[in-house]
Amino acid sequence: MNRYLSQYRENEEHILGWGFIVLFLLAWELTPHLVALPKGLALFFTTPYHIALKLFDMVTSGEVAFHFYVSGSEFVIGLGLSILVALPLGLVMGRFYTLNAMFDPFVTAFNATPRLVFLPLVVLWFGFGIWSTVVIVFIGALFPLLINTYEGVKNVDRVLVNVVRSFGANEWQLMKIVVLPNSMPYIIAGLRLAIGRAILGVVVGEFFGSDQGVGFLMAEAAGNYIVDVVFAGLILFMGISLVMTMAVKKLEDRLSRWRPEQVKTF
Amino acid sequence: MRFGVLSERSVRFLLGAGAVTGFFLVWEFLLTFVFTFNPFFITKPSLMWDATGDLILSGELWKDLYISGTPFVFGFAAAVVVGIPLGVVMGWRRRVAFALDPFLTALYASPLVALAPLLIVMFGVGIKGKTILIFLLAVFPFIFNAFAGVRSVDTLLINVVRSLGGKERDLYFKVILPSTLPYIVAGARIAIGRGIVGIIVGEFYAASEGIGHALIWFGDMYQLGHMFVCILVLMIVAVIFTVGLRKAELAIAPWRTQETR
Repeated sequence: MNRYLSQYRENEEHILGWGFIVLFLLAWELTPHLVALPKGLALFFTTPYHIALKLFDMVTSGEVAFHFYVSGSEFVIGLGLSILVALPLGLVMGRFYTLNAMFDPFVTAFNATPRLVFLPLVVLWFGFGIWSTVVIVFIGALFPLLINTYEGVKNVDRVLVNVVRSFGANEWQLMKIVVLPNSMPYIIAGLRLAIGRAILGVVVGEFFGSDQGVGFLMAEAAGNYIVDVVFAGLILFMGISLVMTMAVKKLEDRLSRWRPEQVKTF
Repeated sequence: MRFGVLSERSVRFLLGAGAVTGFFLVWEFLLTFVFTFNPFFITKPSLMWDATGDLILSGELWKDLYISGTPFVFGFAAAVVVGIPLGVVMGWRRRVAFALDPFLTALYASPLVALAPLLIVMFGVGIKGKTILIFLLAVFPFIFNAFAGVRSVDTLLINVVRSLGGKERDLYFKVILPSTLPYIVAGARIAIGRGIVGIIVGEFYAASEGIGHALIWFGDMYQLGHMFVCILVLMIVAVIFTVGLRKAELAIAPWRTQETR
């Protein structure tokens, strides 16, 4: 008995964590058996078992593969574009005071505003389809990356900059040797935020401005009250977002291992 | 950096204000003199100005903001009332944190916005559906930030208060609350953005009034001047809240400015 207890103590965190999830799913599964749901609710009620079945069905029948491919492409293109724009712009903004002061109101405004606000306009400009979603993903991911790159560059140690300059480095070499490596942890933290926003961008972009992709699949199902598909899509997105976040966290740990203290960013 | 008699702050402000003004002027100029103006594709600041007058004088803007604001306030208040105590308990009781953390993290990671159509079908297009949606989106930043805030409390401070004969009450009001508050304000900043998303998604889906509905309606009617004004209003609201909360964060906990930047 004591042995079990000590084993429990060791793994308490995981046991409690998984235990709660299992308990929650069980309670959800049993709800319709235990209480009589009101008619309005019963129509839209589904249980984890049905959702899992549906998800399995969607994956094995290949129904989801095409939409997944579309959503994935939108994510990759949008995020890639935002990295291409944000890194150089952030570096420049961090190095030149005037430029930074001029861009600041725009960056603050666009960063504070949910991307969704621009969706009707984006659909008007880029049409109904993949490109609208790509633009929404791009706008969403751009600002966390831009702001973090800029903060990273601004916080570079002045002493290091002066030393490298004294040895005759030009602006380009300065970037390569001092500025970029020093801002890396900030940039990676920005990337983590950007990934979250990009995934959200894929969902809302496809919800309102597309006719393909996993988000569209969910929107269509929701419109027809096929609740299983909505939750199956939700789980799919949840899985992707957890995997991506963990991957970036790993990258973050690896890149900042040489750093004495953890760099915190918002 | 200083320029003559001007302080750094005013230089920064002037540069920023100049850039914004310049942006609108260039926009107006380009569409008036350089490019042919297509009113079904883009609008001009002068037309936006007219639209602003129209929306304000007809009272439509205030009505829409009021309609959208009500569920926002309810949902946000509910998120505060539920989120903060839950986060504090998670921070204070280790086992509660073990049990709830993975579950809530998974929920936080999933795009709950996607549940909007279901919630609206279940709870109606009125205040109720939107309030629940806003609550669902806004509650997580409060939970996780209160959680992180309580966990960041310096145990040394707790021991000191205990050694000097402080009561449980003193512990809460003198140690835990002051170190948790800045985290909660930071959480509120994130929650505001998510709350606005909630309003807009709810109104995109099904609504006959409200600022989100106005945005989509003017877009469908190709009244781009009015549409841009709605976008600008939402941006201004978001900026006011975000900047205001950032200021509050700095005012509450000036010592944290270095570390969070």
